[in-house]
Amino acid sequence: APSGASLRREGDPAHRWAMVVDARKCVGCQACTVACIMENDVPENSFRTIVSTYEVTEQGKAGSYMLPRLCNHCEDPPCIPVCPTGATFQRRDGIVVVDNTVCVGCAYCVQACPYDARFINHETQTADKCTFCVHRVEAGLLPACVETCVGGARIFGDLNDPDSAVATLVREENPKVLKPEQGTQPRVFYLGLDPRFQGKVDGTPTLWRPSSKTHARKEHA
Amino acid sequence: GGFSDTGRKLVKGAWAGDKPDHAISGNAPAPEFRVDPATGDLTPTPGQIVANVACLGCTTLCGVRVRVDVEKNTVLRVAGNPYSPLSTDPFLPYGTPIRESFKSLSRLDEKGLKGRSTACGRGNAALEMLTSPFRVATPMKRVGPRGSGRWEPIAFDRLVEEIAEGGDLFGEGPVPGLRALRDLKTPIDPAAPELGPKVNQVALLSSVNDGREPFVRRFFNQALGTINFVGHGSYCGGAYRSGSGAVFGDAKKMPHAKPDLQNAEFVLFIGTAPSNAGNPFKRQAMLLAKGRTDGVLNYVVVDPVLTNADNRAAAERSDWIPIRPGTDGALVMGMMRWMFENGRIDATYLSQPNGKAAEAAGEAGWCNATHLVIQQAGHPRDGRMLRASDLGWATLDDKERYGAKDAFVVLDPAGTPVAHDSLTGPATLFHGGTLASPAGDVAVKTSLTLLREQAMRLDLGGYADACGIPADVIAGLAREFTSHGKKAAANTHGGMMAGNGFYNAFGVVTLNTLIGNLNWKGGTIFGGGRFPDEQDGPRYKLASFPGQVKPSGTAISRPIPYEKSSEFKAKKEAGKPYPAKAPWYPNAPQLTTEYLTSGVVDGYPYPLKALFLWNSNPVYGIPGVRGQVEAALRDPKALPLIVAIDPFINESTAFADYIIPDTVLYETWGWASPWAGVPTKTSTARWPVVTPRTEPLPDGRHVQMETFLIALAKRLGLPGFGPDAIADMDGKTYPLERPEDWYLRGGANIAWLGKQPVPDITDEDIVLSGVARVLPALQAVLKEEEWRKVAFILARGGRYQNQAEGFEGDRATHRFKDGLLVYNEAVGAARSSVTGKRWTGTAAWTPPAFADGTPMRQIHTAEDWPFQLISSKSVLVSAYTIAASRLRHLHPENPVGINAEDARRLGIATGDRIRIATPGGAELATAIVRHGVMPGVLAVEHGFGHKEFGARAHVIGGHSQPVVPEIGAGVNINDLGLHDPTRPGASVWVDPIAGTAVRQGLPARLERVAAA
Amino acid sequence: MDNHIVEVINVTREVAWLPWAVQYFFLIGLSVGGMLLSLPGYAFARENWRALGRTALLVALTCGLAAPVALLSDLHQPGRFWHFYVVLRPTSWMWWGSIFIPLYVTGLLVYGWVCFREELQAHGRVDSRLAALYRLTSLGGGRNDALIRAAGLFALAGALLVALYTGAEVAVVKARPLWHTPFLPVQFLMTALAGGAGLVLVLNRFAAGNDRAVEVQANRLLAGFLGGVMLIGGLWLALGLFRLDATHAEALGSVAGSEAWRVTAIWAVAATALPFAIAVAKPAGTGLVTGLIALHGAWMFRWTVFIGGQTVPKTGAGFYDYALAAGPEGLLGIVGTAGLWLFLLIALTAILPSPRRPAPGPARAPQAPAGTVAAE
Ligand SMILES: Nc1nc2c(c(=O)[nH]1)N[C@H]1C(S)=C(S)[C@@H](COP(=O)(O)OP(=O)(O)OC[C@H]3O[C@@H](n4cnc5c(=O)[nH]c(N)nc54)[C@H](O)[C@@H]3O)O[C@H]1N2
Ligand SMILES: Nc1nc2c(c(=O)[nH]1)N[C@H]1C(S)=C(S)[C@@H](COP(=O)(O)OP(=O)(O)OC[C@H]3O[C@@H](n4cnc5c(=O)[nH]c(N)nc54)[C@H](O)[C@@H]3O)O[C@H]1N2
Ligand code: SF4
Ligand code: SF4
Ligand code: SF4
Ligand code: SF4
Ligand code: SF4
Ligand SMILES: [Mo]
Repeated sequence: APSGASLRREGDPAHRWAMVVDARKCVGCQACTVACIMENDVPENSFRTIVSTYEVTEQGKAGSYMLPRLCNHCEDPPCIPVCPTGATFQRRDGIVVVDNTVCVGCAYCVQACPYDARFINHETQTADKCTFCVHRVEAGLLPACVETCVGGARIFGDLNDPDSAVATLVREENPKVLKPEQGTQPRVFYLGLDPRFQGKVDGTPTLWRPSSKTHARKEHA
Repeated sequence: GGFSDTGRKLVKGAWAGDKPDHAISGNAPAPEFRVDPATGDLTPTPGQIVANVACLGCTTLCGVRVRVDVEKNTVLRVAGNPYSPLSTDPFLPYGTPIRESFKSLSRLDEKGLKGRSTACGRGNAALEMLTSPFRVATPMKRVGPRGSGRWEPIAFDRLVEEIAEGGDLFGEGPVPGLRALRDLKTPIDPAAPELGPKVNQVALLSSVNDGREPFVRRFFNQALGTINFVGHGSYCGGAYRSGSGAVFGDAKKMPHAKPDLQNAEFVLFIGTAPSNAGNPFKRQAMLLAKGRTDGVLNYVVVDPVLTNADNRAAAERSDWIPIRPGTDGALVMGMMRWMFENGRIDATYLSQPNGKAAEAAGEAGWCNATHLVIQQAGHPRDGRMLRASDLGWATLDDKERYGAKDAFVVLDPAGTPVAHDSLTGPATLFHGGTLASPAGDVAVKTSLTLLREQAMRLDLGGYADACGIPADVIAGLAREFTSHGKKAAANTHGGMMAGNGFYNAFGVVTLNTLIGNLNWKGGTIFGGGRFPDEQDGPRYKLASFPGQVKPSGTAISRPIPYEKSSEFKAKKEAGKPYPAKAPWYPNAPQLTTEYLTSGVVDGYPYPLKALFLWNSNPVYGIPGVRGQVEAALRDPKALPLIVAIDPFINESTAFADYIIPDTVLYETWGWASPWAGVPTKTSTARWPVVTPRTEPLPDGRHVQMETFLIALAKRLGLPGFGPDAIADMDGKTYPLERPEDWYLRGGANIAWLGKQPVPDITDEDIVLSGVARVLPALQAVLKEEEWRKVAFILARGGRYQNQAEGFEGDRATHRFKDGLLVYNEAVGAARSSVTGKRWTGTAAWTPPAFADGTPMRQIHTAEDWPFQLISSKSVLVSAYTIAASRLRHLHPENPVGINAEDARRLGIATGDRIRIATPGGAELATAIVRHGVMPGVLAVEHGFGHKEFGARAHVIGGHSQPVVPEIGAGVNINDLGLHDPTRPGASVWVDPIAGTAVRQGLPARLERVAAA
Repeated sequence: MDNHIVEVINVTREVAWLPWAVQYFFLIGLSVGGMLLSLPGYAFARENWRALGRTALLVALTCGLAAPVALLSDLHQPGRFWHFYVVLRPTSWMWWGSIFIPLYVTGLLVYGWVCFREELQAHGRVDSRLAALYRLTSLGGGRNDALIRAAGLFALAGALLVALYTGAEVAVVKARPLWHTPFLPVQFLMTALAGGAGLVLVLNRFAAGNDRAVEVQANRLLAGFLGGVMLIGGLWLALGLFRLDATHAEALGSVAGSEAWRVTAIWAVAATALPFAIAVAKPAGTGLVTGLIALHGAWMFRWTVFIGGQTVPKTGAGFYDYALAAGPEGLLGIVGTAGLWLFLLIALTAILPSPRRPAPGPARAPQAPAGTVAAE
């Protein structure tokens, strides 16, 4: 078991929450992205999840590729040991969270996450990331991004329950993870993951830039 | 100084930022309810309601579930309505209690994964429109010149008075009010009585039926009495629908079928991009994803630009083939040629001359492939279907001759001519020859023969040269398309909006005819339609009322044969009947594309005096229109009155004299329905789950479209509104004073439709569904036996036929019963009002052209304009969701796609600023270099390049609305649209038959302006 | 045939360690460098190193005091800095840093005080209105080499711990290949020493009497440090280039494709080789030039590592754009720390005006026993 396991607190160790993303089903509609923002009041120009959308050309033939990204709720998360305050911790059900009342906003965890899954929330001035919508999961509901996934690409559930959809897919479909070489043991798995997108993508970057008004008040209030 | 932030933060102490509600979950509100994963017990969250309503983030109008913070009167989040087929697959049985429906979305037994119900990215963000700072809340009247962006609030009563009575409203001279304009007797032009009475000089431009169109029609068509009420079809996907209308035999309603994505094995999307856009957007996306992964679906998207319709993770199931814009006719005629040559048409289906024979042959439909067409130059009926009466088999009076009772003629298998409805088996498919008739020999061919002749005009190489798709790929597509029996389909939409879109679309739809897939599971299906609210009965008469007007005359866009006009007669007498002053469109419905140019600028066939804009934005949406009409719109002399009913100031309503704020999204009543693509009957309910943010009126109502029109009608004394305006089936009358008076009675009609009325709502459903909010209205408006049924519908966000009823065995339950047309005589016998030449009656390949038939490339040559501009929908935004900042932040601009090879040649790199010029204008843009763009094409994503919606300042009563320049980011291809150089006067380039705006294949040139 | 990937939709991440962090690492590095350079003259009482040591001490003190302020500013919740001290987080180098920094700064202050006590005492003897104050701050004592050595060794320990933790804190970040190399801590230290020597050269010119001997001495040192920088840099490059080591290959690979990074690399080589050459060829009269270049080199190294490093996406394609913001999160932060440092320098040199050559007072004052308060 990873070294941090003993430091886990809160949550029910009977569960191990996880996600399987079936990239073949993703239509790149960003419903997940926006639902996450709405559900979690993510500040403008910040994203807990995003569906990277690519044009891939192979032997001159072009096609589209969509890759939903979010925190992997790693089994051995490098974001946790670096945290100098203990604000970041892993629950016993595997969900990695930040206690925003403790976090000093040093952003060390932001640096340490190999997936760019964390950011500093400019409203709270603390580290922010996907929580697997723990408030919903504990209410017996699905994470916002999963609930509204148009293509049905995001599948969420309990790895400890052998009958769950995620456990079945992980068992039977041999899904892949992002950056396996980092040894983080992600608990977000991918079906249809093209190896070219497994690590840092080699290509022409997006034209997107954070808005100059990142810290501006929300336009809708 | 540098440490000011640090200092401020230090002073703030433990919370340098905003303190969120929760240590872990931040500001996430309490979940809408809790479902115990073990027991399944459901606990609602006090202060929140979860209500099923409709989304209006795009024209799909999905059933969605909104979560409302009651106290704050805000919508917290939007997801799918699990009863709605537009959001869910499989969707819940209609009778499911609300409690169960909530559980079905939860983790309980992973129900929420299996019956996932969704809102798309736009749908998730659209709630921002409710609280947008750009919303107009009070009625406004312009001060200063039109379009100057200066307004003053105006009291509701005063607004109604000014619009009704007119007067010197702006100090610019007299403006006629509606009272004066509502002249139902005096002809606009005594010399041209067919144009109708003066009231026709009032026009309303609308968009899509958002669930409230019948109400607006009641006012404009039936109460006021104008014929000019036009939707956005002509600049939406009208060319496709016209082409489909040609096959389905109805040029006005333009029926169209959709692939049954749930069961199809192969679908060819030519000019529509399911899951990137398409209608119904979300349902198609959901089924496409499922079909290519868990199902049997394989598909190919033919499109000049690669979109999200493709997905390489499912590469073996999905493919993209680039095509040159406006050349789809070449592709499909090439496919047809291969199909004819290789015997890959469904001869069994095609040879059935009528429905009975088809049924006997095991077919689910039939077509006129075997019907004979007169093909004799000089024959008075050349190009028309040969009829029983032509052969002297029937004698009918003038009214009935050539009508439904006058049978078509086919050759029986022995070659003998017989009435098409007399056969019980197949007729001869291919024939060309002469038949003896009482009027002498007449040369005829079967419809399919004519189609084959068209297909054989070029060889595959010729078609390949035209469309840029290699001949072997064309053949391969034809082989694949014909390798799945009836479980294949072709579909199209926005890609047809080219200068030859009608024939391209006619061709795509004819592909389906050739394999006889209509009404088949896995083929194309017509859809279940809806439960209409606005008809007469079963509970209330909403379609008719005493004193109603039947609008008469000619609509501005001239959707009738030119030959029936006084102009034609006069010109014929003068010896030169053609050309008409401007084109007429007998094979099209009303067309917004002609209203602002012909109707406002040129006053042809008559000038408009008052223009209403509701829910629409033609200046933004129609290519080329701005340049043609902006001056006239600014000029009150050209058009005395412009009234807009819109929640926002858009590119069109910016020119209005008055803006009446309308309710948006979840503030509104209505009965919406899907366009197509849902096999079962579907009506989606819209009902107010939050209090409108528009100005309240003293009686508690709010300013919105309905209250405005009711007040206007009452002031004008129009029938159909006010006390006693609505009758029930017993003749008892009820008032139409509030929106509920109309929509709830419509709901009662819906409740009693179908095999049996819907059940009564339970008390628990009332509480859980949030319907309690509108219960007082229900009880006040409806009868005792009605309100619980209507509440039952509202609680479920609509009325939905159960999913299992979509098909009966292999066939769709709701079938299109009439014969499809391989040859359409209304087209084939009609003449261009410009050239006087006849059109082709079958699908055909013809290059994009202007009104007088001159090919576009003859005027705007490829040497001068080496590129072609096309536009595709943004996967994220629709035209007006630019107001939603969250979508904009995710995708702030629309860089223009340019093929890598072209870019290399011109030295353009991703991020560079480029200048795109067309004969219609020039715009600066940002380039994105892609392989997923056909060489020679510039691909523009639609929905950006706004000039209003907050991109520029509007001053209302001295207060400036916020200005967010980023809203204007990117380009709108429509600012580069063309006018028709072969037409005198104002015009935009349209398809000559369908009259639809041309936004695909605009000639363009390109230069690099600056590096990234 | 083309093989290519274009990101059509993606978002970029902002840098989370702001220019404040660059300033912190720069200043703390200079402080450590200055501290180390002061040791021979003070802690080890080598008289010929004393003049240089005094300037180095100014560097150590001014930078050492300004650095933690920059660090505090880089926290998004500076008011919570005490959160570090109520937990035990030995897995986090930053947590260790929160222990080491006060340790070091305290040690440095004590060391500085004992070093300057002699001067304080001298000023206390001069007839001025402030004399009493000087006498008070000198606590009535003067030079005490044993005390200086003890304090020096303590501060040295602190400096080494700071050097260790600043290096390790960044080097352990596996998520950033550019950072995740065992060389990084050494590079930090070497560039810190070079920067420290550089600042000594600059201060020597402007704030410490322009001592020619110090200049030559410091230039020689600088050349040595720069030589070290180049050696390690060369090793780093070689390991990466010849793929001798996977992490280095990855680190290099993460930026190799970029034109901007190539320019940066050439610049860095120039900024090291040039002052090296000058310092070796002509150590006298060039101190300002070599010093400024070396300083700039040390700063740029940190800017490149931190800001540049954060513009390398961990998953996204290409590089993120970094535009220096005008506010405290950007330019103002840089200017602010520079201003703070300048203020500290002015204050310190006002309190301890640079001695008119030779140093004021008797070369060797009678030694008062440490800790005793001289009776007036
Ligand atoms: N170049 C290019 N042009 C195109 C397209 C393209 O892909 N490329 N797409 C075309 C298509 S398919 C279409 S359908 C048309 C669409 O064009 P239009 O039908 O003209 O509709 P929108 O531009 O969507 O604008 C609708 C207006 O309705 C307003 N609105 C929103 N909600 C409400 C409401 O509840 N009440 C009222 N009263 N108003 C409301 C919005 O503020 C907006 O001003 O554009 C067409 N134009
Ligand atoms: N995301 C999103 N979805 C929407 C909407 C929206 O605004 N955003 N709007 C809704 C509305 S109103 C409508 S009408 C539908 C329209 O849905 P679609 O018809 O699917 O969408 P369009 O983008 O209009 O056109 C489809 C495709 O035609 C391609 N095309 C352009 N020119 C040609 C050509 O010459 N030949 C061929 N073969 N293809 C061509 C375009 O690149 C585009 O990808 O979408 C609906 N759904
Ligand atoms: S930013 Fe907060 S959560 Fe992250 S490492 Fe620092 S204190 Fe821990
Ligand atoms: S993905 Fe990043 S933030 Fe999430 S657990 Fe893993 S390391 Fe931590
Ligand atoms: S699980 Fe929740 S927090 Fe995480 S990405 Fe999905 S919606 Fe956002
Ligand atoms: S909601 Fe689902 S289908 Fe849509 S982009 Fe997100 S993961 Fe893909
Ligand atoms: S498809 Fe259109 S109507 Fe449906 S949820 Fe998305 S935006 Fe709303
Ligand atoms: Mo449309």
